Amino acid sequence: MKPPLRVLICDDDTLIGEALHDVLTAEPDLAVVAVAQTAADAITLAKQHAPDVAVLDVRMPGGGGMHIAREIRRLSPTTRLMAFSAHVDGAAVDEMRRAGVLEYLVKGATNADIVATVRRVGRT
Amino acid sequence: MVHSGAMSGSPLRPERLDQSAFRLLVEGVIDYAIFMLDPGGHIVSWNAGAERIKGYRAEEILGRHFSVFYPPEDIATDKPGRELEAAIADGRLEDEGWRLRADGTRFWANVVITALFDPDGQLRGFGKVTRDMTERRRTEQALLERHRLVSHLVEAQELERRRIAWDVHDDSIQAMVAVGMRLQLLSAALPEEHRAAVDRLDGTVRDTVDRLRLLVFRLRPPELDQLGLVRALERYLGDIVPRWGLAYTVHDLLEREPVGDTAITIFRIFQEALANVGKHARASTVEVSLSTVDNGTLVDVSDNGRGGAVIGHRRPGTEHFGMIEMRERAETAGGWWTAGDRPGGGTSVRYWLPFTTPRPEHP
Repeated sequence: MKPPLRVLICDDDTLIGEALHDVLTAEPDLAVVAVAQTAADAITLAKQHAPDVAVLDVRMPGGGGMHIAREIRRLSPTTRLMAFSAHVDGAAVDEMRRAGVLEYLVKGATNADIVATVRRVGRT
Repeated sequence: MVHSGAMSGSPLRPERLDQSAFRLLVEGVIDYAIFMLDPGGHIVSWNAGAERIKGYRAEEILGRHFSVFYPPEDIATDKPGRELEAAIADGRLEDEGWRLRADGTRFWANVVITALFDPDGQLRGFGKVTRDMTERRRTEQALLERHRLVSHLVEAQELERRRIAWDVHDDSIQAMVAVGMRLQLLSAALPEEHRAAVDRLDGTVRDTVDRLRLLVFRLRPPELDQLGLVRALERYLGDIVPRWGLAYTVHDLLEREPVGDTAITIFRIFQEALANVGKHARASTVEVSLSTVDNGTLVDVSDNGRGGAVIGHRRPGTEHFGMIEMRERAETAGGWWTAGDRPGGGTSVRYWLPFTTPRPEHP
């Protein structure tokens, strides 16, 4: 059996962060290494844990998802990035993709979609 | 005698009007102060209008210099002297400004000074006609003040909408999303027979998130500056009515597109009217028409639904909130709003808002 995918969650909303944590840890092949609530924490924790996947919100205190994405790619080049955001507009999606985000999931997606997306981003 | 003939009740004829009859006319006019100045600016005649407007009786004012009507700040710059010079140079001078009454109070005056020359070109004096424009000025200023207040109000409303949109987006939607995620986790952990109830609950949460997103969409600022009113309306229609299975048409008959807070108000009333169509009308098409009427913009939002959507509007106290909001917005901006059933079925909402800025000059 492959080792579980190690996931870093970055979301300033506590309710979302905790729910995401519980959704992902319910899967035997996924492990959450940390939940970051600020941009600075996200970058530090990514450097420290070098997770397989980082799930990023688009807007975070201390810097947007784009900034976090670029910093994580610089400090932890093996980490793959996906966005999980309430912003449904095309401009936000394009910006995140340009910053190196592989998948963009709109908040409200089912747990099954979230889990499948994390696996797809982490395993490919 | 011509003079007594004119005065004794026989009809006035042009050939019968002598100078004394004409003088009676001038003396009797009360809406205008009409009087004459000698070449040095001293008052040599006075009429009833002058007495009414300026508060001096003839015997108090005849022989005095007309600068007595000017406030100190104008005296300091010799405005009276300059006005006479301008009237001599150009034949005529018109001015608006503050003037003083006999009791020292001020009124806003429109003044015309005409230089009077004899056939040899010698200056004989000046004719001066003064109107009291205080009331009109007050009305104009009240209108300006009203525009300013409406503008502030619209700005404040837009700011408030933006704040609410952010709050809903960043807080309410996030919380509902988290609830949905937990309900799905719960459903997965439950025995089969209990799952359906939780899944239904999750579906409701999902619908709520959709509704909140629609609310955020409706609250966000329209892109009027970039698109102009008509295109912003079209874009909004294109984004929103397919959700309700509605077709739409826009008739742009505008000769002049409204801008600024008038455009915002038109857009916000339109949104509310459209929301009513979506919620209540059971229509298949909605038609929007905009035209330039009576120095303002007339908007008609009509649907082909079941009508009666505005029945509440006819019974005071039963209007729904959207109706009240639409009408208040229109009336605050100096316009009107009405709604009624269309003869062929369906409902029509019509509203008109005046332009608040003068027509832009064409180059």
